[in-house]
Amino acid sequence: MSVTATKTDFDLLPYAGEQHEELPFIRKYIFSTDHKVIGTQFLFMSLFFLLLGGMLAMMIRWQLGFPAQPIPGGELLPDTMTPGGIVLPEFYNSLVTMHGTLMIFFAIMPLLVGVFGNLLIPLQVGAADMAFPKLNMASFWMAFPAGLLMLASFTVEGGAAAAGWTAYAPLSSSGEWTGVYLGQQLWLASLFILGFSSIAGAVNYITTIINMRAPGLTWFRIPLATWSLFITSWLILLAMPILAGALIMLLSDQTIGTTFFVPETGGEPLLWQHLFWYFGHPEVYILIVPAMGITSEVIANGARKPVFGYKSMVLAIISIAFLSWIVWGHHMFMSGMNPMLGNAFMITTMLIAVPSAIKVFNWLGTIWKGNIHFHTPFLHGAAFVSLFIVGGLSGIFMAATPVDIQIHDTYFIVAHLHYVLFGGSLFGIFAGITFWYPKFFGGIMNESLGKLHFGLTFVLYNLVFFPMHSLGVQGMMRRLYDPYQYDYLADMLPLNRFISISAFLLIVVQLIFIVNFFMSMRRSNKCGPNPWRANSLEWTLPSPPPHGNFQEMPVVYRGPYEYSVPGAEEDFLPQNEPPKDVERVPGPFEQPAD
Amino acid sequence: MSTEEHTHPPYMKIFGLLAAMMGLKVLVGLSSLPKPIAVALLITISFSSAILVAMYYMHLRFETKKLWLLAFIPFPLIAILILTVIQEW
Amino acid sequence: MTSHAATVGVPARQHEPELEGVYTVKLGMWVFLLSEVMFFTALIGTYVILRFANPDHFAEPGEVLSIELTAINTFVLICSSVTMVKAFAALQQGDQKGLKLWLLATIALGSGFVGVQAYEYYHLWHDGFVPVAEIYTAEGGPLYGSTFYLMTGFHGAHVTIGVFALAFVLFKAMRGSYTPQKLGGVEVVGLYWHFVDLVWIVLFTIVYLI
Repeated sequence: MSVTATKTDFDLLPYAGEQHEELPFIRKYIFSTDHKVIGTQFLFMSLFFLLLGGMLAMMIRWQLGFPAQPIPGGELLPDTMTPGGIVLPEFYNSLVTMHGTLMIFFAIMPLLVGVFGNLLIPLQVGAADMAFPKLNMASFWMAFPAGLLMLASFTVEGGAAAAGWTAYAPLSSSGEWTGVYLGQQLWLASLFILGFSSIAGAVNYITTIINMRAPGLTWFRIPLATWSLFITSWLILLAMPILAGALIMLLSDQTIGTTFFVPETGGEPLLWQHLFWYFGHPEVYILIVPAMGITSEVIANGARKPVFGYKSMVLAIISIAFLSWIVWGHHMFMSGMNPMLGNAFMITTMLIAVPSAIKVFNWLGTIWKGNIHFHTPFLHGAAFVSLFIVGGLSGIFMAATPVDIQIHDTYFIVAHLHYVLFGGSLFGIFAGITFWYPKFFGGIMNESLGKLHFGLTFVLYNLVFFPMHSLGVQGMMRRLYDPYQYDYLADMLPLNRFISISAFLLIVVQLIFIVNFFMSMRRSNKCGPNPWRANSLEWTLPSPPPHGNFQEMPVVYRGPYEYSVPGAEEDFLPQNEPPKDVERVPGPFEQPAD
Repeated sequence: MSTEEHTHPPYMKIFGLLAAMMGLKVLVGLSSLPKPIAVALLITISFSSAILVAMYYMHLRFETKKLWLLAFIPFPLIAILILTVIQEW
Repeated sequence: MTSHAATVGVPARQHEPELEGVYTVKLGMWVFLLSEVMFFTALIGTYVILRFANPDHFAEPGEVLSIELTAINTFVLICSSVTMVKAFAALQQGDQKGLKLWLLATIALGSGFVGVQAYEYYHLWHDGFVPVAEIYTAEGGPLYGSTFYLMTGFHGAHVTIGVFALAFVLFKAMRGSYTPQKLGGVEVVGLYWHFVDLVWIVLFTIVYLI
């Protein structure tokens, strides 16, 4: 009998079939340890920041489309931002900085990881909750104040951070050039706290997936949504601490007077770039990999076919994660770094296209000859694939160092990043929300509104971002308050105006999604446990699942993509349904019952 | 999984080794050996000490191979960061 | 291995989280420690890189730092790892008294380490070895001070947190919370403590001896 016990000091979590104490409102909905509540908290927080980030983008687009003209309603904002409704240059710098910061750290990351990680992982692995529910609660309650700090930075003297979301030293280390002092420090502090939240989440997700899978759920039977969140969690775990270190150094340079990035005393500004991008490149894969997992789920479900090459999909995600550590220099081709490194990073960056391409081919293989149901989640998933292809192709151009000489820091880069982050991640998020909404809110979102939202968003999105490739190649730099002061950029105003108008329409169209989201919550709109006829374990539960999730521990007999199995009654076969023809066979972890 | 109720790892022997290695390190550090040799020796000794602590005090030696794999993950990443960035200078 | 089959079809508590051979809280601590490795990499890596790049802004360790004092302090921390391991071994054998005594010893040694480090900081500061550019007067340059205090300061903070965690565990031990079957709390705080010692072994070498 082993002395190091397999039990822990912490109570094992009861499944739903057991008695649960009735909790007061504040423990049930505010300081809850239930992963579903925490996931929902992350959802509302992130959607708010997504909207706010979008509004900031609208102001950027206004300035670029209607330069030096008053924004409608701009007089409502303080004179330090928009006197007379006209965007100040200093405020423009804050706009581009905070748009990026809010979108990356407070919208996309928490949406993909905080929301889907929390909502899906325990259900898809067959657990009653996360491994460390209290830590999970702490994770949200660290993210939320971090968000508040970031919002507060708009209100302080000097305004919000204005050195780009990349905060390069020495621009960011002193307010001398941006005019921003406290705002930048709040930015640093906010991200530092957010880092704790993310790392805590990663520890939870990794431990839950390794240790709390139901019997029979072997590694290669785990749904791709959970696989992608598992790998993403490793990236978070290992990359965020590097950012934390860099943030501390920058903050202390600004406040205490240390000299990490101050050249006069031996500091190295380039070190900031290396540390930042060493974190930053895995970060961008954190922002896309979960969306890839979601896309696999909705495409397989919509096409009623197994994911083509499931195992290679898993290996591709692992390869992408592994390679993401050795490509960071491609953000620094023009920084003046050692040219030999430029060569090395060019090669590794081109390599990383390979596993991504494998995934694209596999998605196409999944759709091919499928019995396709064009439901809203499937449409968003298909859009992910097509737009990710575009983003990936522009990436190949940038990977070539000589080409990057021309297009670095231009709108070509802006186009690329929006194709992967919006065309990719955000469409993946829309796919995930529309797909799992019924599970967590009990009612299915309206299909007609969903398709309308999808169609308009897809078209307008491309009208906004595709032309940016052209703008970039012609030399329009990013983060420019007034590009038209340069003769060679002066005749880009019409195209910029076109983009801006499309962008305004794009954000208005999102109202359809918002209306659909809230409208579908009404009590009269109930749905059963499995409206999409899907296979993974969450679809065996009531919508929404009770506290503790499963009545009893589920047992898994097969992978999650048994769609359209020849000879089966239905075109789907849930993971936990016992095989019918034979006497029930024990799974790999079962021993014969005594 | 191997049971924990094996004879305890020789904790005090390991302590003795760690103390000896530490003393050796200090001697090398304070000596006037040529810098590259001193550095190589110091790195070797300190990593050996670290490995001893990890293997015996953190019990890694008696854990599953999967945990070894997990624990190993950061080290290639560290090497990549430092060896790459140092090329700048 | 405990049986899983007996739980099939029967309302059950969460199954024994033993599928990968490492119980959940211990796995969680190991995973967390990996993130700590990366954190110290950023700090120590910065020192290594900057010192390699701009050696003139630094000084030989012996010129500014007290190698002998810190060597003794390092020995103190190593001793605390031994006492920690003895505490856990005592618990494994059901020796509650030994557990408490060895935990107390670990806390004392850990606090001693922090105390000596604070003393060291006081003297270094007095000698003009500071992290702030404006008031730096020691050998080398303010970058040396910046990197030194960054690394050792965050390490010291981790030791301090460890001391508090040990005190919490000792408090629980005094209430009889730990048994040979329920020893997760002690084991994971032990893992954290050994890790902190391990980081110091590397840090001491790189900062004081090289």
